Amino acid sequence: MSEREEGEVENADTKQHKRSNRFKSLDEKPVNQDGFAKEWPEEGLIAMDSPNDPDPSVTVKEGEIVEMDGKQREDFDFIDFFIADYAINVEKAEEALAIDSVEFAQRLVDINIAREDIIELTTAMTPAKLAEVVNQMNTLEMMMALQKMRARKTPGNQGHCTSVKDHPVQIAADAAEAALRGFDEIETTVGVARYAPFNALAQQLGSQAGRGGVLTQCAVEEATELELGMKGLTTYAETVSVYGTESVFKDGDDTPWSKAFLASGYASRGLKMRFTSGSGSEVNMGQAEGKSMVYLESRCVLVTKGCGVQGLQNGGISCIAIPSAVPSGIRGVLAENLITTMVDLEVASGNDQTFSHSHKRQMARTFPQLVAGTDLIFSGYSTMPNYDDMFAGSNFDSYDYDDYNVVQRDLKVDGGLKPIAEEDAIAVRNTAARAIQVVFRELGFPQITDEEVEAATYGDGSDDMPDRDQAADLKAAEELMEGDITGLDIVEILADHGFDDLAENMLNMLKQRISGDYLHTSAVIDGEFNVTSGVNDRNDYQGPGTGYRMSEERWEEIKDIRHAFDPEEV
Amino acid sequence: MSTKTEISRRKLQLEEKGIAEKGSESDEVVIAISPAFGETQTSTIVDIPLANVLRETMAGIEEEGLKSRLVRFIDTADLGNLGNRGAELSGSGISVGIQSKGTALIHQADLLPLSNLELFPQAPLLDREKFRAIGKNAAKYAKGENPSPVTVENDPMARPKYQALAAVLHIKESKSIDESREPVELEAHFE
Repeated sequence: MSEREEGEVENADTKQHKRSNRFKSLDEKPVNQDGFAKEWPEEGLIAMDSPNDPDPSVTVKEGEIVEMDGKQREDFDFIDFFIADYAINVEKAEEALAIDSVEFAQRLVDINIAREDIIELTTAMTPAKLAEVVNQMNTLEMMMALQKMRARKTPGNQGHCTSVKDHPVQIAADAAEAALRGFDEIETTVGVARYAPFNALAQQLGSQAGRGGVLTQCAVEEATELELGMKGLTTYAETVSVYGTESVFKDGDDTPWSKAFLASGYASRGLKMRFTSGSGSEVNMGQAEGKSMVYLESRCVLVTKGCGVQGLQNGGISCIAIPSAVPSGIRGVLAENLITTMVDLEVASGNDQTFSHSHKRQMARTFPQLVAGTDLIFSGYSTMPNYDDMFAGSNFDSYDYDDYNVVQRDLKVDGGLKPIAEEDAIAVRNTAARAIQVVFRELGFPQITDEEVEAATYGDGSDDMPDRDQAADLKAAEELMEGDITGLDIVEILADHGFDDLAENMLNMLKQRISGDYLHTSAVIDGEFNVTSGVNDRNDYQGPGTGYRMSEERWEEIKDIRHAFDPEEV
Repeated sequence: MSTKTEISRRKLQLEEKGIAEKGSESDEVVIAISPAFGETQTSTIVDIPLANVLRETMAGIEEEGLKSRLVRFIDTADLGNLGNRGAELSGSGISVGIQSKGTALIHQADLLPLSNLELFPQAPLLDREKFRAIGKNAAKYAKGENPSPVTVENDPMARPKYQALAAVLHIKESKSIDESREPVELEAHFE
């Protein structure tokens, strides 16, 4: 109670003081709705370079790391063991650690040094070394390094596709429009967990109505997520979380080994997968052990590497409002993206969750990844209004589509999206909505009415959608989960009812599971079902004239915004 | 041992009744609360007194003709775990889990900790009515019914405003964890 009383006294005080109109106006600005905190290093509420972070070191004996970051092998926790034994290139470790961190940071920025010349050293570094190297760099230098270090030359983008009503027709229609707008991947999640199979089905079907080749996932509990993939209702997975301290792992009844086992479950069934981590999760759970967010994140990145997984989404992710509440936090999440590329993993670089009320701050946070380019600049751009975003809102949503398109055009930068015509959006939304209607009917699920198809075709968000009988839907969703229906049954239904192109696209996605080409690092699939990855589209950036350069065709797409006037016709 | 906590001119007294055992009555729903609930923390992240949170949840369960049992977990503050383990102690196999900052879920004994029947992850959006509805729905699951889920709320700006504060509240709650302690049966007295 004493705190509250002090607060009341302060309020009484401020009433007596005459206030500046300017400061009063400033207090009302959106940025001051955000939560900010001072650093608290003892609990790890610090972005980079905590006084409690270890100094980098490594000792190798007979091919084994016997000492790492100031700890003897017998004192290792299970994360240390896992990283030392599986994630670090032991042969090069002592050489990499011997290089001065400032000098190494300079090599990362130097355009005369190619990615392939330093990747064998960056993959030989300990967690503390990776953190110490990025600590030397300012934001612009990290952007330069990110441009060079990302695995795939061509940047890409990923979207969220959810509904606060878990409305399957809305999800199918939004997925179709998202695919048409250029997203390489889209992901759904649920308001009510048991809706997962419906959301996964609606999203995959919808996406393939917009553009063949778009990858989809359904972010739910890990075992359920794997089962959805095995049923052919998704084509990748992302929500396998790893953490930087042993105690957070233990809270989830997990270890790095159990995560590796799960990862192999996806790989063996031909499903692309990446892990999830990101600054702030350990602080969020009260178990950061006083270490900085970037140091703990470098441990997450190396656990991911050690599991043999091709990529990672990080950059704050669902805890972004924690790093962004402390000084240098946005620089810190850029640093963790950079570390991920240094370890030769695909990076889906965040920008996926709300962290600020301020539009200026929202843009500033996204700028480094957008301008430098990453494998997936957003790991979740909300493809519908934020009120429907069941990842609790994204940094950008469907109302920002035109802003984003114009920024791509202004800066001639490829953010992975393109302007589309209204009639094209309506057409693909309608196809997706009609297709899910047929699939529900043929599988005996609760009816989808023509009114719902119409609402989803022309709608903006779930406010435009009629309510469904959720209890009946959930019962049918449970039957889908427990029954034998797979993606192949959906293909058959679509083919039998005149949705030939859509059926073929859905079938092609199932075929990818057998060829497995899209399990390579940073793989995405284009409209002709060609796989583009860090293997066949290697990033060779070395300054002007090298690396990713927009094709004329792509530039025409980006230039063609809806509201530009034609000077010749004026 | 009992503790008394001042809550907006009302007293919530949580009286410890010994180690919580697995219940045998199918008409009970366990309310599983976290280590600092009503102890060092007395209101949710949006200042709803925890006394009210408890009263509403219990009232929701009672409206459906069922009984509530209150259990405190001291060895974990993790919502999925305390909800799932609360459900294991519940005669009906259903529990409501609530953290001190107000985050809540409805859990069932045969689910995995990270799965659940209904999750309310955005504590700033939970008001007294929601807690009553959560209690009511938990009781319906306990009776074998298949209720429509409590309407999910989504405020995309809850995170920017509250996440850092939520982390600090959770860190402080975690300081009350004692891994050697068994879950404790409680009786709530509202004065």
